[in-house]
Amino acid sequence: MAGFELVSVVHLVRPTGARARNLEGLRAGIAAAAPDCLFYHACQYVLRFHDADELPPNDFAAWVEGVVQDRETAERLAFAAAQESHHLAGLRRALLAVLEAIPENTRLTRDAPEEGEFRFHGVDSVVVPAGLAPGTVDELVEHLRGAEPASLFYHLYERPLLHPEAEDTLEGWVEQQGERALAQWLRDCPRWGLSLEDARRRLVRRWNRSQLRRRLAARAQAPESERRRAGKQAVSRLMDRWRAAGEGESAP
Amino acid sequence: MSVVTLSPGPPLLEGYRQALGAPALRALEGVARRLRGHRLVMVNSTAAGGGVAEILHRLVPLLNEAGVPTTWEVIEGAPRFYAVTKGIHNALHGQPGALGGEDRDYFREWSRAQAAKLALDGDLVMIHDPQPVALVEHRRRAGQRWVWRCHVDLTHADPEVWAFLAPWVVRYDATVFSAAAFVPALPAPAYLVPPSIDPLSEKNRELEPEAIRAVLERLEVPGRAPLVTQVSRFDRLKDPLGVLEAFRLARRQESAHLVLAGGGAADDPEGSAVLAEVRARAAGMTDVTVLELPPDSHRDINALQRASAVVLQKSLREGFALTVSEALWKRRAVVASAVGGIPLQVMHERTGLLVRSVEGAAYQVTRLLRNPSLRRYLGEAGERHVRANFLLPREARDYLAVFARLLEVGG
Repeated sequence: MAGFELVSVVHLVRPTGARARNLEGLRAGIAAAAPDCLFYHACQYVLRFHDADELPPNDFAAWVEGVVQDRETAERLAFAAAQESHHLAGLRRALLAVLEAIPENTRLTRDAPEEGEFRFHGVDSVVVPAGLAPGTVDELVEHLRGAEPASLFYHLYERPLLHPEAEDTLEGWVEQQGERALAQWLRDCPRWGLSLEDARRRLVRRWNRSQLRRRLAARAQAPESERRRAGKQAVSRLMDRWRAAGEGESAP
Repeated sequence: MSVVTLSPGPPLLEGYRQALGAPALRALEGVARRLRGHRLVMVNSTAAGGGVAEILHRLVPLLNEAGVPTTWEVIEGAPRFYAVTKGIHNALHGQPGALGGEDRDYFREWSRAQAAKLALDGDLVMIHDPQPVALVEHRRRAGQRWVWRCHVDLTHADPEVWAFLAPWVVRYDATVFSAAAFVPALPAPAYLVPPSIDPLSEKNRELEPEAIRAVLERLEVPGRAPLVTQVSRFDRLKDPLGVLEAFRLARRQESAHLVLAGGGAADDPEGSAVLAEVRARAAGMTDVTVLELPPDSHRDINALQRASAVVLQKSLREGFALTVSEALWKRRAVVASAVGGIPLQVMHERTGLLVRSVEGAAYQVTRLLRNPSLRRYLGEAGERHVRANFLLPREARDYLAVFARLLEVGG
């Protein structure tokens, strides 16, 4: 069966010209924003902060928190986007609902300092070959373990969000390989608001666990001598790990 | 023909791979793969001196190593041409000064003559800054993609001078600016490619503690109290007096030593006046050092930033403020104003602390001085953020991506 061609993406950011000086301006800007603009500010930040320990809030929430310094609204915007970032129409509705819950007069007075206005940007995606074409799901997971963040982001978040109609998808290919549970996990992943590295860790862990039973069954079929050797190696690895842990504890 | 010949240096890609890891370069290599078979020409007005030449000296070899054959051509200067383009440059920065009819004719004629001397024969041509902007009239063939890369802040551009340049700018297939604030209304796509820092440069590479101590001793900066530092030229928009005031408030609660380090005052009358004011205000403050540094003090700035507990950038207005990226790259805790490109680099409470007042700056500086673990947390997160977004290989990747995009949409 044919392999799956992994790609990566470069995002070219262009200012749309729209700006917000206060929460009312932000509301109007979000209401009028093109899909690629919403994508950039409320989804693409996952890539910009791909290795953050904790995913920061989206650009709208970050501006409200850091520049306008309205923490409560920032929290609500962060929560709204984290819940709906897998679906652009829902995302827009959720963000607007947060801002429209604030009276208009208040929206006008919660503002940014001079030179601190929010500038809306759109994005053009340039898809580039990653130079990797795994032939099995095992190889795929191995590649994704070390893939550059933009490649992982494109396949997990961007393609499903911006091109839901696409046919040659990662999850579709995984399903064709007979790994339906993993394919479903890939489909659901954007809903969970995970940081990119967290998503990567969970994907690899999940796959490894799912393969444990298969590997044990394969080993059980192996000849006695090979099973003994594998057993000794496993015990030896375990001892090494304990020893290392012990040394760590006694270190100053 | 004025083609810049670069002397071979150590392989850059390998250097970045060692410093940043292989994954950091994969996107650059991926876009370069898409541009196989295309040739790129960079054009600017000087091979030496100035920020653009400095960038091209690293960028051109890097692009060649990545697999996109790139040449660098320079338009010839003449005293009158330099005088005219200096006038244009100043007017684009908002300084008064008219561009007379004769100067305009001279600029057009000189550009025409230069176009005849240059090859400009790549499939892809990137013109840097206003001096060579008019070369776009002399496209060599259909199908070439021309991009104007403007490094200048056009926020306060003189409308007449901009109106003189705009008819050429609109003939480009795309433009590239450093910050959203600089982008005028244009018919072709205007992309943002933030500037970057070079992790292998003198200003940013790792320094041994001994080397840092030696610099502090030479500059007579005491090493006992934690350092709070602002590095920027002496300019009112960098608010050095606000920094002094914030520090005066902060030291009521925590002891520290403030360093205000900057350059460019010698050849800038306003800079000299600001520096004099700063010195007068700091007189008698034994825990403040004001340093006027020469323009090539990269290593000293590196050492000062690395030695600091807190780096301040309390500007009133900013372009991008690469000093913030420099400090974050060195894992420093940063307190900065929420202006210009700073919020792109400082995510409040995540990669640094944003402030909007003198009191806010004093409060956050005090907070950081008291909390080493918060300093460490912000510094480490800031370094990761800069690693992912504001280093030279990313800038190279973005330029290539602009051309890949133009080839994609233009067929």
